[in-house]
Amino acid sequence: MKAPNKNSGFRLPEDYLENFNDSLLNKIATSEESKIPNKEGFTVPKDYFDTLHKNISDKLEEKPTKVIAIQSYKKYYYSAIAAAIVLLFVGINLNKTVDYSIEDIANADIDSYIEYTDLNFSSYEIAEVVPIDNLDITDILDAGINEENIIDYLEDELDSFNEFNLDSYDY
Amino acid sequence: MIAEQTLLEELKQTETQARAFEKLVNTYKERLYWHIRRIVLNHDDADDVLQNTFIKVYRNITNFKGDSKLYSWMYRIATNESLSFLKSKSKKMGVSSVALQETLLNNLESDVYFEGDEIQLKLQKAIATLPEKQKLVFNMKYFDEMKYEEISEVLETSVGALKASYHLASKKIESYIKEN
Repeated sequence: MKAPNKNSGFRLPEDYLENFNDSLLNKIATSEESKIPNKEGFTVPKDYFDTLHKNISDKLEEKPTKVIAIQSYKKYYYSAIAAAIVLLFVGINLNKTVDYSIEDIANADIDSYIEYTDLNFSSYEIAEVVPIDNLDITDILDAGINEENIIDYLEDELDSFNEFNLDSYDY
Repeated sequence: MIAEQTLLEELKQTETQARAFEKLVNTYKERLYWHIRRIVLNHDDADDVLQNTFIKVYRNITNFKGDSKLYSWMYRIATNESLSFLKSKSKKMGVSSVALQETLLNNLESDVYFEGDEIQLKLQKAIATLPEKQKLVFNMKYFDEMKYEEISEVLETSVGALKASYHLASKKIESYIKEN
């Protein structure tokens, strides 16, 4: 950059203009993110990554051992199944079996079944069986929701509502 | 980056599977580890989740349809495994997810595998205040330096929503750090 300097008397540091773009971009990057540190401080034990594949392979090989162990108990399973069938027939013939209904199952058992079992129901499937029209918000929540909470929720969950994210949102 | 298609074919064939799996683990272990570590915070938990993630990948690779990239699929598994891990941990401890986060953060101060200074600890505390999705987006964008398109594949969320999420998360973290 050897352009004549019309501001007589003023000088520029060497290579200032050549390096201006880089230093500007650096400045923008650091000023925008300066409040957030870019290092996290997490570390890992020595050689952790070197031994990882072996550890995983060992775990994968554990499965056949378990299968062999189950095989040796096969005869007990057959006995148990046979006993269960006999009991079932005896129960039916004596007509003493109790008709179980949904009311006989403890709510806690149902809750725990739903919580721990991957039911794979979509929201739509659940919506089909839940009588939404007959439900009131107070059936689900003990306390009412105030406007402030709704605004906080929408702010936090904005990304779940695509219609709020207009195309002009370009950061 | 290894050629995914070739690796995928090798992973699906019995005779090349073991070697291909080793290649897969060695290629992605660090990226996935850090992704998981940022969610579960503790090394031992991250190790458990990472191993389970690879085991799931190994056992389900034949079901991988190739609709997304292999690494996006693995990231998705890692994310789900991490979140499920935290969920079951809070249940086992009988505490809410918020209380669990607080415990994890408090433990971080005495964790031998955390060498962060005060500001880095504050950053983790700030991240912990974010809703789950924003936390994921922030970590993936800021620390993993993933593109929005890549994050979009992993989290199955539109790029526009991700941009809004990241913007909100950054602002919240900045103001948390400023105020605390």
